[in-house]
Amino acid sequence: MGKEECKTMLDALNKVTACYRHLVIALGSTSDSQNLREELKKTRKKAQELAVANRTKLTSLLKDKSISKEDRAEYERLWVLFSSSMELLEVDMKRSLEIGQEFPIKVPTRHFIQTGMTGSTNAVAARAMSVQNMKYEADSNIDTADLRDLQTEITQVTQMVEEMEMKVQVAPWAVVAKQEAGAELKSNMSVGNSSVGVISICEEEPKDDESGGAREGRSASIGAVVVFFVIVGVALVLGYLVINMS
Amino acid sequence: CVCVCVKQMEKVIVAMQDPDMGIKMRNQRLLITVIPHAMTGVDVITWLTQKYRIGEEEALHLGGMLVRYGYIYPLKEPRCLVLQPDDSPYRFQTPYFWMSTRWPASEVDYAIFLAKKNIRKQGELMEHEKERYSLLHKRINHTWDFVVMQAREQLRTSKQRRKADRIVLECQEQAYWLINRPPPGVQSVLDMGLERPSNQNLRVPLNSDFYKREIEASRRALGRNRVKSSICLEGFVKYCEQYQDHDPIMLGCLPSNPWISDDSAYWTINTEIVLVPTRLRVERWSFSFMELLSDPMGRKEFMTYLEKEFSAENLYFWQACEEIRHGESSKIPQKVEDVYKNFLAPGASRWVNIDSKTMDKTLEGIKRPHRFVLDDAQMHIYFLMKKDSYPRFLKSDLYKNMLSRAMVPQESKKSVFPFMRRQRHSSPSPAQVVAHGTEEDERTGGVGQAGTNSTTGARV
Repeated sequence: MGKEECKTMLDALNKVTACYRHLVIALGSTSDSQNLREELKKTRKKAQELAVANRTKLTSLLKDKSISKEDRAEYERLWVLFSSSMELLEVDMKRSLEIGQEFPIKVPTRHFIQTGMTGSTNAVAARAMSVQNMKYEADSNIDTADLRDLQTEITQVTQMVEEMEMKVQVAPWAVVAKQEAGAELKSNMSVGNSSVGVISICEEEPKDDESGGAREGRSASIGAVVVFFVIVGVALVLGYLVINMS
Repeated sequence: CVCVCVKQMEKVIVAMQDPDMGIKMRNQRLLITVIPHAMTGVDVITWLTQKYRIGEEEALHLGGMLVRYGYIYPLKEPRCLVLQPDDSPYRFQTPYFWMSTRWPASEVDYAIFLAKKNIRKQGELMEHEKERYSLLHKRINHTWDFVVMQAREQLRTSKQRRKADRIVLECQEQAYWLINRPPPGVQSVLDMGLERPSNQNLRVPLNSDFYKREIEASRRALGRNRVKSSICLEGFVKYCEQYQDHDPIMLGCLPSNPWISDDSAYWTINTEIVLVPTRLRVERWSFSFMELLSDPMGRKEFMTYLEKEFSAENLYFWQACEEIRHGESSKIPQKVEDVYKNFLAPGASRWVNIDSKTMDKTLEGIKRPHRFVLDDAQMHIYFLMKKDSYPRFLKSDLYKNMLSRAMVPQESKKSVFPFMRRQRHSSPSPAQVVAHGTEEDERTGGVGQAGTNSTTGARV
């Protein structure tokens, strides 16, 4: 069924868009590196492939005059999802060009901003590319060479977005979203206390970020301590019994 | 302009990252996590003081700007965007969230942020955030599915990072939105008051009403009367040619330029009311009707002429209207009343002939008198006089006599000695002329009364 295929492709595009944004946020900071540039490049290319595939599929579906009214409404909704994704992608690509130009890698002294983020982003990129591990094979001049490619790709994406607006007869404001306000709360996402939710960085109380961390840390360490003592206690009891028996 | 400031601020921030000369970094210890790259307020101030060799007060101000524009954000009290000169911790903001980006925050981005926060806090948003959330849900409803999808996906993505990085990411985002969408009551640095750039209008929803208004405005603009610049310039050239002979700076004035010769005869013969006007002055009355009316002597002559023609009431009416327009506010009602009695009421002593439409409108307006209530009637009479009486005045004997009787002042006679000429033209350098003048005085003193040297005359 065309609809299911569309939805899967849109989900994929959505995932790659989110990953790309995450990677661009790391640009210019201490998380930046040659690997990050390569990750950006690969993610970008993947996003473009998905974009073209989505566009082809959706335009062919929308062109079909024989579809029912509900189907058409649904395709228009998917189209709005698709164009919103493209707009986000376009802005992030432009931003990555802006930042990439300001923070080149191949300079004697790098001046990356010390933002506190020091971990690598390869898990994010792997998620975008839907692979287990990322392979890095780029040359050392990726930052300059890639920027040129990036400029061309930005032009292509901008053109695509403009074409989409001109040629496809969908009125975006006429689309009604399926999700009501607060729909994200009914998600199937596990928002357990190991997620970022508990680190409430200061809402009412000033010292929240430390106490937030402390709260979670304390419960975890108390749990660990309790388990430890239980095991030690059991070991002692068994040892005593063994000694007694022998 | 914000753009200039932020570019400079970025230079400062980049300089702080220098491995040798940059700012000293510390570690931030949360109970089980350690996050590097923190600095205290004192660190920032000390570094600024040393690097730029400025006083502490200035460093505090500069540091404060870095915080207010979001380049550095506080870790302990994120809502308090102030640089505290103590050991409060701060951290640098990542370039993606810098203020100088050419692609500022959009409504969709903010909606995604609020949705993410909603998920993380299980619906416990702050009051103003809840309001904005519902507003956005209405405003960008068509793209709301995307907002929810993207929010969920972004949260899943950040789970791929380790804990410390996740915390930093959240702090960064929170700091960014505290500046770009400040809570109510907090002044936004993006609000530049009177210098606000016009692209703030992009916040207007681009719906069909907006476009209808734009189309209407463009249509009106197309219909506006425009004058070709060739025609405008022709007008300018004609004006300059006409007035050139009358311009004392271009052609000099007779009898002499008082500023140079110290002879104020020029001013005396050109006062408002003289017995015999100069020829140039009378000529000017023929240039335009306004020239005639603005010269008191011209107006007097014109009045004499109109009285002969039995249409003097027009000019009296025009004058009365001028007095109302330029006179005291408190006297306006009384004056308007007088004008009505003398000129507009049926059977008035000096009844003026105005067309019925204007008359009705004026009579209606007189009920609530103000400074400009008689404008339409005055304009009507003005054009009447201009089209009718004025051309006849210029052809009349009265005017022609004035022209022939008008005097042309003599250029003060040249003295015997060739270098003691009267200064008729304005000289390029008054300093030169003064030196000349003193020379002349010496010589006149020596020669005695030879030559009509009116300098000494004027000095008396």
